Amino acid sequence: MQTIDAGGKTTREVNAAIREAIAAGADTIRVTNPEARHNLGVGLLARVRLILEGSAGYYCGGMIDGPTVEVRGNAGWGLAECMMAGTVVVDGHAGNGAAASIRGGTVVVRGNAAARAGIAMKGGLLVVAGSVGYMTGFMMQRGTIVVCGDADEALADSMYEGRVFVGGKIAELGNDALVKEVTAEDRDFLRAALAPLEASPDRYDFKKVESGRRLWNFDKKELDIWKAAL
Amino acid sequence: MCGIVGYLDQTGGGRGRLGQTMLALLSALGCRGPDSAGVAMYGDPRGLVLWIKVGDGDGDAALAERVAAEIRTGASVLHADRRGPYLRVVVEGGPDPLGLARAVEGLDAAVEVVSLGRRLEVVKQVGSPENLDRTFGISRFQGTHGIGHARLSTESIVDLSHSQPFWAHGLPDLAVAHNGHITNYHKMRRRYETQGVRFYTGNDSEIIGVYLAERMARGDAFEDALQASLRDLDGSFCYVAATADGLGYAKDPFGLKPLIVADTDAFVAIATEEVALRRALGTGFAAVEPGARRAQAWRLPALAAAR
Repeated sequence: MQTIDAGGKTTREVNAAIREAIAAGADTIRVTNPEARHNLGVGLLARVRLILEGSAGYYCGGMIDGPTVEVRGNAGWGLAECMMAGTVVVDGHAGNGAAASIRGGTVVVRGNAAARAGIAMKGGLLVVAGSVGYMTGFMMQRGTIVVCGDADEALADSMYEGRVFVGGKIAELGNDALVKEVTAEDRDFLRAALAPLEASPDRYDFKKVESGRRLWNFDKKELDIWKAAL
Repeated sequence: MCGIVGYLDQTGGGRGRLGQTMLALLSALGCRGPDSAGVAMYGDPRGLVLWIKVGDGDGDAALAERVAAEIRTGASVLHADRRGPYLRVVVEGGPDPLGLARAVEGLDAAVEVVSLGRRLEVVKQVGSPENLDRTFGISRFQGTHGIGHARLSTESIVDLSHSQPFWAHGLPDLAVAHNGHITNYHKMRRRYETQGVRFYTGNDSEIIGVYLAERMARGDAFEDALQASLRDLDGSFCYVAATADGLGYAKDPFGLKPLIVADTDAFVAIATEEVALRRALGTGFAAVEPGARRAQAWRLPALAAAR
């Protein structure tokens, strides 16, 4: 394990030190005093374990392909944005746009995630142990979001494909979002998805939300739906 | 963009560190707002304190003298000195502090009362938080709570008057620092102007203090006024506000502007980004981002108990 003290360093210096450690063959890198600064651990392509001993700022673990990033605190906006593959685990809360546009990999938030969690997801898995803010799953195209707690307004608004599971209350469904039956196959999936949290899906009353697919094609006979959606 | 911060000591001690804490909070957000920096801090009650802008740059010495003379005609001056573009005056608190401000501002168009209150002191200028400290020594200020602002101007001009925090001209000791846009600003401003309210800038943030002052003058409690603003102000905004004995924030219905809050036994700290809380106050406390459409206020424990 290699330790990098981020105290007093610029973000560029910290990220350069992480890359140097990876190049030197480190398999686990610990960063102390991250001080919630932005852009930590972005663009990493190696199968390395990166541990941030404190909160991270915006875009933590963004655009990564392969590593495991653990945040021992909160994360700011755009957690793991555009991740291709890998795992990002946040012990605290995540700000707006957690797992935005990810194409693969897994993002786990042990606390709550704020608004627009999983916006425009193109694959992968987002698991939130707590609750999520409004417009979670907005325009998502593929992948899965699992929320153990409550979901705020406009859940899964205008989603194309993919699915959102909510264990608590749904304040309001978004445009063209429908509640579907949770199948036995879904339960098996949830069991595996919740394993990192050591939680059982049986503790929650999971609802599955999917696209009604009425916004896929424009039909002027259905103008009223579009007025509401736009 | 802009960065805003707020801090309130909940222990009843720690007065000596307020200035240092405020500077550390604000410096961490300096990159969000390089145009201007300012703080509104609350010290011990001492008559009535006024920070009066007397011209630009280093101010106009002759104008400062006229202002001081005007104040002496109506009030007993305990202390007066020049600091940068300001004349700072402490007078014995009279029955009509707002009348005193109006009289001073009537002397010359260049005169603006930037801060007025029994405990409030607002200092702000163009430039970074570090420069604000070099000019005014804000890190040495002792007090109980405060708010601060680092500004990235998007619409109105960059000068001292357009800097924040704003003292809300309608009510002594009320100050506001804002990040975002108030999109019904022009409509609200026209309504207030028909009621005779004077606006000092073209900065939409100024309307928040006017709004809160009006509601509180009509009897709203501080937190109720903050809550009401969520309904009456449009746009994407977060702001922090403070009174002689309280600190609060409001976050718009879409939550489009970030704001992180730490509420501990020792202090309440609020900042646009968590980095400010961690750099200024360390890691031994939880910090959470309130959801959209939230407002909350805290009162000073010592003052609350004394009443």
